Amino acid sequence: MTTTDGAAALPGAGAAGPPGQHTPAGLTKRSRAARRRTVLALARVEARLLIRNWLVLAGVLAGGIVIWTFLWAAQPLWWDADWQIGEGQLTLAMAVLVAAQLSAGRPRRDAMTDLYASFPARASTRTLAQLAGLAGAVPASLLLIGAAVGFVQLRGPIGAPSVAVLAGGLLLVIAAGAAGIAIGARFSHPMAGVLGALVLAITSWQSQRFPGAIPWLLAWPLESNGAGQLDRLPGPLAGYPPAAAHAAELAGVAVLAGIVALAVTTRRARAGLAAAGAVAMAVTCLAGAVQLRPIPTADLNHLVAEAASPASAQHCTTASQVRYCLYPGFGRDLPALEAPVDEVLAHLPARPSQPLTVLQVLTIFLSDPVLTHGHPAQQIARWAAQLQHAQPGVSDIPAASGIYLPVGSWPAGGGLLTVARFDLALAAAEWAVHLSGTSGISSNGLESCVPVGQAREAVAIWLAILATHPSASELQGGLPAGHLFGTEVGNTIVPTWNYPGVGNGYVTPPGGGPQLTAAGYLLASAMTRLPQQRVAHVLAGVWGKWLNWRTTDAQLAAALAIPMPSVPAIPPHPSPGRVAPGPGPEGPGPQSPVCTG
Amino acid sequence: MHRLTAALRDDQTRPAARPGGSWLGALPPLTRPIIRTMPWVMLITACLISLAYLAVLAHFAHAPSPPLGPDAARLAFLPAVAALAFVPRTPVRPLTQTTPVPAWVVPAGHLLLAAPILAATCWAQLRIIAGTVPPHTLGPLPAVYPLIAQLTGWCAVTVAVAAWARRSRYADLSGAIAAPASLAAVALAWYAPITSRFVAEPPGSPHGVTIVWYAVASTALALTGVAMRDRWHRYSRRPHRPGPAGHDRAGYPFRKNR
Repeated sequence: MTTTDGAAALPGAGAAGPPGQHTPAGLTKRSRAARRRTVLALARVEARLLIRNWLVLAGVLAGGIVIWTFLWAAQPLWWDADWQIGEGQLTLAMAVLVAAQLSAGRPRRDAMTDLYASFPARASTRTLAQLAGLAGAVPASLLLIGAAVGFVQLRGPIGAPSVAVLAGGLLLVIAAGAAGIAIGARFSHPMAGVLGALVLAITSWQSQRFPGAIPWLLAWPLESNGAGQLDRLPGPLAGYPPAAAHAAELAGVAVLAGIVALAVTTRRARAGLAAAGAVAMAVTCLAGAVQLRPIPTADLNHLVAEAASPASAQHCTTASQVRYCLYPGFGRDLPALEAPVDEVLAHLPARPSQPLTVLQVLTIFLSDPVLTHGHPAQQIARWAAQLQHAQPGVSDIPAASGIYLPVGSWPAGGGLLTVARFDLALAAAEWAVHLSGTSGISSNGLESCVPVGQAREAVAIWLAILATHPSASELQGGLPAGHLFGTEVGNTIVPTWNYPGVGNGYVTPPGGGPQLTAAGYLLASAMTRLPQQRVAHVLAGVWGKWLNWRTTDAQLAAALAIPMPSVPAIPPHPSPGRVAPGPGPEGPGPQSPVCTG
Repeated sequence: MHRLTAALRDDQTRPAARPGGSWLGALPPLTRPIIRTMPWVMLITACLISLAYLAVLAHFAHAPSPPLGPDAARLAFLPAVAALAFVPRTPVRPLTQTTPVPAWVVPAGHLLLAAPILAATCWAQLRIIAGTVPPHTLGPLPAVYPLIAQLTGWCAVTVAVAAWARRSRYADLSGAIAAPASLAAVALAWYAPITSRFVAEPPGSPHGVTIVWYAVASTALALTGVAMRDRWHRYSRRPHRPGPAGHDRAGYPFRKNR
């Protein structure tokens, strides 16, 4: 039985002198060298065991899944992606913590303390070796970082990764391992490690519950909680996150945990350990204080100015008489944006007189204390007022001719990109048929209008389908069989159609966009089954008539010589789970206006 | 173990045959050893950590922060669920099996003792969460019964995984295996698109989620019963079937058996 749990013999381990000669005073150069060899030999074995540990391997796998879950759908922005990679490292850190605790608590857990005490290597030597053996977790962490960086790089990211953030993820894994050894040195029960890992994770998962900048002091606040606006920024923001200070804090915690583990297992050199512990504590506290500093006012001023007046920061280009305004660095998205818009324009018999503008918008929440902590309330109110004047439609671009793309919302590829392209094409088609900017004011305030029975709605959907060719199942998904959605217009429930990506926020159509109806989609779907030239001929003949809101979809169907598709009626009293607002026991539901613009 | 055998000896119970029902008489004297061998410290520590964490969150949960909800309760309950993975254990199981009382009585007794502790923790958590909801809140509060069903299901799954891990060659680390494994399984079911509509709310309805989690709990408890009643004795190697020769890690020759 060895400390390696029956693994290979240790080269050099036998070179250590008898236990009696291990007093600090009696340590000769030779015995110190022997002890160093013992530590290195044990560390090599511990590192090998850690690399092969099934918990660590499972942690790498789980960390990879976490990173993939966060990154696959998102636009690859490096100032956001590198923090997301750290969230995968958090999963690995949990596994390493449990594995390290199991390793350090092995002698006491197996009731082998006396046997271990008879070995030439002392408990403190073994602890030192276990701490050095955490190097075994480094390849796992680096593998995770490398794979994630490669994944992001393949998707054509914007910006450059922060070395401090990536290093922080690595330090998190090492700090968790050191904490596991410290826990295991004192508490040998496996539950102690599991509890430690849970505390590490739960505090990070719930970091948004802590006030001010405290989330930065936790192990790795999840972006969806503590650092929630990284993916909405047009570029890196200094101090958000405070990456270098966070890495320093994690390094300090790692050293502190190692010192605690050594202090538990040795009765000698306590003064040296105390001094080192004080230094580590000072570094940790200093790093914590740096993280609690507010983000510089100048940087927030710049951010708010970028959001309030995008023209001051964006680069605008005009193609096919459409103006595209994007923040610096996002120019690589231009071809992906132009393609669906150009396709829609190519099928138009005539263009509207108002020019179309596609521009990025920045939506930041100043109520987030992590972003604005430490700044006076008056200053935050001034920023909020500045942002309020920059809402889409309020700026110099007319609401009816602007398509807005929230920063960070455009997917990098895959099926989501197809959906986003369809949404952009639909927004352009709505502009083309004058369905844009038609949100009305109902009894409940500002609300999307509904183009009930209007021909131009079907034309817009047909144009968007023609431009991007989405799969029929995606389109049909907005009309689940026997599960119609509806909205109330003039005390009548109108079945509606949820186009693909309606809730994803890839695109904000002109004027917010109308609420499309099931009848409009079904007619457009029937139009796609007709020869394209035939439909184009019918539309081009009296294009102005089809744009008139009084022209009905039945007239369009008649002109195309096809029957008007029938829409199943929504039952008056829906069963639980169905969405069908309407007159209920309390009276009529909220009414939506008809699009008349 | 000694306490159990001593208790049985005092009761004049014969350690040989175990006809149906005759061991029931040994239960009253077993109560005390079961209570004494219960891992109280670990379970109560985990429950206190759960409550302390939720109390800290509740301290910060004031306007403009939203009040605590079922999500916070679920996360805070994880340490208690993890501790439950270490409860069903039978020390020296091969020896315990030779006693007149079935081996599953002790872990089953421990689980019965753990149930009120967990229930009290859950109740206290709900009280803490209710305290963060401001008075005169508009709209209905989220239903509690799906949350209770979910936590019950998590506990049952954890116990089942731990009971089955006890019957493997990694019996000594059954709790350390069962805690992460069961939590990972729950997380997978929670977030996988195929299963989330049945086990998570939303997208599942409160009623449906409750039914599903109680069904999961019932199945898990049945599996736990099967695992705890299993009397199959595992050998690290089969003694009578020679295989190809090899060397163990210490360098001693042995024959590989499969």
